[in-house]
Amino acid sequence: MNGFDVAKQANAVRSSIGVVTGGERGLYWRLTGRENLLFCARLDGVREDRAKPRIDALLKLVELEDRANDNVEKYSRGMKQRLHLIRGLIHDPPTLLLDEPTLGLDPNSAVVVREFIKEKLQKEQGKTILLTTHYMEEADQLCDQIAVIDHGKVISKGTPAELKAGVQKIDVLRINATSVPESLVSDVKLIEGVQEVKTSVIDPVAGLTEILVHTRSAEETLPHLTETMVKAGARVRLIEQSKPSLEDVFISLTGRRLRD
Amino acid sequence: MNLALEWLTFKGVILRHFKEFVSYRTSVFATIIWPLPLLALNVYQYLGLASGQQVGQVLNAKYGIASFSGMIILGTIVYLLYNRMLWGTGASLQEERFNGTIESLFLTPANRMTVLLASGFSSLLEGAWWIVGVFLLSWVIFGVQPAIADWGAVIIALISTMIALVAVGVFFASFFVLTRAADQLATSLQAPIRYASGVAFPVAAMPAVFQLFAYILPVTYGINALRSTVVQEGTLISLVGTLAPLYLFTAILIIAGHFMLKRVEAQAKRNGSLYKI
Repeated sequence: MNGFDVAKQANAVRSSIGVVTGGERGLYWRLTGRENLLFCARLDGVREDRAKPRIDALLKLVELEDRANDNVEKYSRGMKQRLHLIRGLIHDPPTLLLDEPTLGLDPNSAVVVREFIKEKLQKEQGKTILLTTHYMEEADQLCDQIAVIDHGKVISKGTPAELKAGVQKIDVLRINATSVPESLVSDVKLIEGVQEVKTSVIDPVAGLTEILVHTRSAEETLPHLTETMVKAGARVRLIEQSKPSLEDVFISLTGRRLRD
Repeated sequence: MNLALEWLTFKGVILRHFKEFVSYRTSVFATIIWPLPLLALNVYQYLGLASGQQVGQVLNAKYGIASFSGMIILGTIVYLLYNRMLWGTGASLQEERFNGTIESLFLTPANRMTVLLASGFSSLLEGAWWIVGVFLLSWVIFGVQPAIADWGAVIIALISTMIALVAVGVFFASFFVLTRAADQLATSLQAPIRYASGVAFPVAAMPAVFQLFAYILPVTYGINALRSTVVQEGTLISLVGTLAPLYLFTAILIIAGHFMLKRVEAQAKRNGSLYKI
């Protein structure tokens, strides 16, 4: 890691990486944002005359300078996450480990954090970032290289484009329907060419279910699929053929959805 | 070892603990109030049987203890500090885990032993009021007259006891982190240590088997050292027999804590989990 042996030079490795965890935890709530950063700077061996101006600059970078002297317990989830992010940057490490950096964030905050990672950390500062995420869109948007891990083992790796190309021979049909009976999945699986069928409720109030069908040929499958659905009593609202996403890659590789 | 970096870590941990401590007013209030009923309990369990003078005479005749109240007060102070270590430093790594901060703490280059030692000293600072405050109150309420022959010996006894207590805290911290039940463990360690270290009575009054247990506890030596120098006119020379085992156990606890922490970390790297018991 960064030219150091992880077994023999563990402390040099620790000094050369910044770790960013996610979630509500991982910060000292009774300390202010600034105090949290100063504490981390001290543990990272950054002297105070260097740490203080750097903390000011980092707080400004994530627009937390006005709330820097408030206790972290008063921060919103998005503010905590921004503090998490700059905490890992205090000692200006060349490599950052981001563990689920947008987990539990509202969509707007997630966009802000992703933009910060992409624009400030990747493009402006040229950091090497190792990011773990369950959000495939996030991986697609931020990562140059992706390793898919299932049950603790890397089962595939490559650029997003390479991974998607691996499932290009599969057509993906996305159907939104109501009144979907439980037996539908097994019925659809019987259609020739169908490889995977996954369902998930996307609007519980309206009873709207999304059905994702991986098939060798959408053209051949579609007539049988609609017939099967009508017979089963499902009311189809939308059918579309989509390009494989990274989630489709994951399903294709593991046989299950990320949320399963 | 880079002393400047160790100092940064030490200072950082102490300042963080202090800020967290004073940010909870109830915690500060409890720290001020808590010693008083415990002290009263320890004293009045004797005064229900006989007057202070009579109790003092019996203790002096049988165990050579000149000041009954002094015996109890010094025992109580050391016990209170021990408790602070148990719940402060001992539970500190466990608390980091509950806060979700232990991962980032372990992924910094900061020396873990420095973190724990700093945690121990901040616990002592939080409990510093007990040393001065309780003694002053005892002087006013119970009329304890210190019998100090050598102030140097008092200071060395106090510092040695504090170092030993920090070692106890470090040892507990590296042990408690292996379990989710650290609170229960800490609770279960309160009463036996209170009994076996002779907080409110002379160790010599215990059955012989328990005395063996008492003399493997640094708390016992700490109490004896302070009793000897503060109320029995003990000198530095008379302290040697007490301080030697105190430092021996201090060293054992620090070394054991250090290696246990290394094992804990190795296990966490191997299994992805800290839990063992």
